[in-house]
Amino acid sequence: MTTGTTEAPGIAAPVQAKDRSSGAVDAFAGVMWPMLSGLIGLALWEGLVRLFKIPIYILPAPTQIVATIGQHWWYLLSQLAITTLAAALGLVIAVVFGLAAGAAITASRLIDRMLTPWLVIAHAVPKVVIAPLFLVWFGFGLQSEMFFVVAFTFFPVIVNTVTGLKSADPEQILMVRAMGATPSQILRKIQFPSALASICAGIKLAVTLAPVGAVIGEFVASNKGLGHLLIRAVGDMDTSLAFAAVTVFSIFGVLLWRLAEWVERRVLPWHPSQREAFLLRGGVN
Amino acid sequence: MTVGGHLAGEIVGRGPASASISLRNVEKVYGAVQALSPLSAELRPGEAVSIVGPSGCGKSTLMRLIAGLEPPTRGDIRVGGAPVDGPLANVGIVFQRDLLLDWRDVMGNVLLPAEIKGLAGLEPRARALLQEFDVASFAGAYPWQLSGGMRQRVAIARALLTRPAQLFLDEPFSALDALTRDQMNVLLQQVQTSEGVTTLLITHSISEAIFCADRVLVMSGRPGSIMDDIAVPFARPRRLALRETPEFTAIGRRIREHFEKAGVLVG
Repeated sequence: MTTGTTEAPGIAAPVQAKDRSSGAVDAFAGVMWPMLSGLIGLALWEGLVRLFKIPIYILPAPTQIVATIGQHWWYLLSQLAITTLAAALGLVIAVVFGLAAGAAITASRLIDRMLTPWLVIAHAVPKVVIAPLFLVWFGFGLQSEMFFVVAFTFFPVIVNTVTGLKSADPEQILMVRAMGATPSQILRKIQFPSALASICAGIKLAVTLAPVGAVIGEFVASNKGLGHLLIRAVGDMDTSLAFAAVTVFSIFGVLLWRLAEWVERRVLPWHPSQREAFLLRGGVN
Repeated sequence: MTVGGHLAGEIVGRGPASASISLRNVEKVYGAVQALSPLSAELRPGEAVSIVGPSGCGKSTLMRLIAGLEPPTRGDIRVGGAPVDGPLANVGIVFQRDLLLDWRDVMGNVLLPAEIKGLAGLEPRARALLQEFDVASFAGAYPWQLSGGMRQRVAIARALLTRPAQLFLDEPFSALDALTRDQMNVLLQQVQTSEGVTTLLITHSISEAIFCADRVLVMSGRPGSIMDDIAVPFARPRRLALRETPEFTAIGRRIREHFEKAGVLVG
């Protein structure tokens, strides 16, 4: 038996050699062009505001927004922290509930038929419209925001959990059944790992929706947080502060997305989407 | 294909006493389709039996019935004298697809049956099997990093981990290239000797059926039934050159004549 022992390194080596050289150029192009595009856009914005002397309460220039962020950075970050807390708490509830509901829907056709219509209706209701009702139901403050975040984020988690659990290979299930696996073992050893990539996709969507839900919750049901800050700034005609809040919020959203992607890579090192990166690292786990 | 000069049995040790398998008038009907017409067969403990037949003749159905994955419509199946009424505990199954779990490394895949059955301390056994099958250096690799032949060897190691009394293989090498398939045939007949398991190999390759077995059962087309029962008397260990001997080709001709008479073309 002499075949096989050197196969995988042999597969990895040429790919690695080819991609390393072009990889650096790609990485440069991948960062440079978006940066350049962004700078041009900001320069145009700045130029137009100054050229037409647009008043700051209508549209502040990028430099004015940066100055406002610098001036109010502590206030902005402390309000962001409050928004983040509401988003995080709501997200945790939505993920736990979403996973459990997804598992129940997959496990039983009856539960599927009875629960799914409610979930679809709950998702179809325009949430911004019912936001004031949360104020009535849960009162003023964090808990209202939190449940609003849940309403905003549960659906992608459930849908992706169900899709993932149903995508498990029936032959793999037959195989572990032949080994004597219990339904709970089939769920833990086959169905859940098969679903993990899909579940991660659902949670990633929820992660980006959660702060949006928290901010809308703060519009109506809070006197704290970025959402409240935004409403107040607009009311005060402090457009520069409103833009500062939006900027901070957007940067936070991008960082959150990056964080979710990073976590996903840690959780799914075996997934096809990670294989190219694995080969580029030289085939080392 | 000798592995480090060892016979496998010296490394991994023998399994428990293997069991006999007996089928009496076993029949399977799916709705209006008769998949298996009544058939009877006996497998002695430790015997290696191949079932060869054309595609769709009910070979895989027969295996699922014996493994207790499905009940027969009629008839009686006994393993070690006891009637089969659910998935057999003491069987290792190798399917046509290797069914390795993408999210587990090779070692994790081989240890899967131990986890399911709640058995501890089988890591040395797993390591010895991987060594025997020449994939030990890939113990920490993920399945996608392995070639088709290596993946199927890992699947066989997984099936053998808990020292089952029976090893069932359902067209295990159909997806492999011819050269790899030959190597797997040598490996399989070596494992049959070293592990002493009762082996049931389902295949549509006549030469594979003969090479890996002490006895070949020839199945007809749909609905499946057994047309012939041929003893394969060659000593073990067997070498691939055996397939060129007149005795071997004579058995092959006898099987092929059955298919020609039945009007089925066999690959």
